[in-house]
Amino acid sequence: MQTLDAFQVIADPSRRHMLQLLSKESLTINALAENFDMSRPAVSKHVKILYGAGFISITGIGRERHCILKQDGFNELQDFINFFDNFWASKLKKLETILNNKSKK
Amino acid sequence: MQKEIKQKWFYTQLPETVWDYLTKPELLEQWLMKSDFQPIVGHKFRFTFVPKNDSKYDGTVHCEVLEVRPFTKLSYSWNGNIKDGSRTFNSIVVWTLIPKENGTELQLQHNGFTVLEDILNHTNGWNSCLKRIDELINTLKNANA
Repeated sequence: MQTLDAFQVIADPSRRHMLQLLSKESLTINALAENFDMSRPAVSKHVKILYGAGFISITGIGRERHCILKQDGFNELQDFINFFDNFWASKLKKLETILNNKSKK
Repeated sequence: MQKEIKQKWFYTQLPETVWDYLTKPELLEQWLMKSDFQPIVGHKFRFTFVPKNDSKYDGTVHCEVLEVRPFTKLSYSWNGNIKDGSRTFNSIVVWTLIPKENGTELQLQHNGFTVLEDILNHTNGWNSCLKRIDELINTLKNANA
């Protein structure tokens, strides 16, 4: 299966909703599916994508498979925000240098 | 709690001068990126840069001008692509210029990342992220003080 990056993963509203539900409590795939008006295979596909991108882990307890929120996927988003924060900080600093050099001329 | 990228910077130049550097492509290029920007609402433009070899971005930021209030406020959408052509993020950049002490306080907000608001309720991943942003911003403030 194609691996999606963190932003592609959460670009989908159903997957965002799944993460919201799982942020409150861990759920079995069946319990998760009850919240969605879609086929069970469709839910499984989303769960696999979330798993593949490190947003959740899946643990087998008895016959049930539980979805538990995981940090890795969110770390990628965090890196992204940090990237832009640093990007803008350096650009604003550069603008200051350019403006000040211009004033001296 | 911080829910977006927000920075401010003080320049000793007047808002008119800072505005030029936000809106004239030949000046924008000096500190930000090459672009075909025009200060006209609805104008679609691109920022271009040379991506690093290992970068997954394709070197283009697709933008559309959303608001132009001369010397006061400027905003545009900021959408990035990755190399395979699939869009990864849609966000909005807002510049606000405030005259202050014979200079300009320039505020930047970069937010609306498609995603983020929706899952900000998420407490596990985001607290550390937001804390980090707070730290960065405070570091910046102190460095600039």
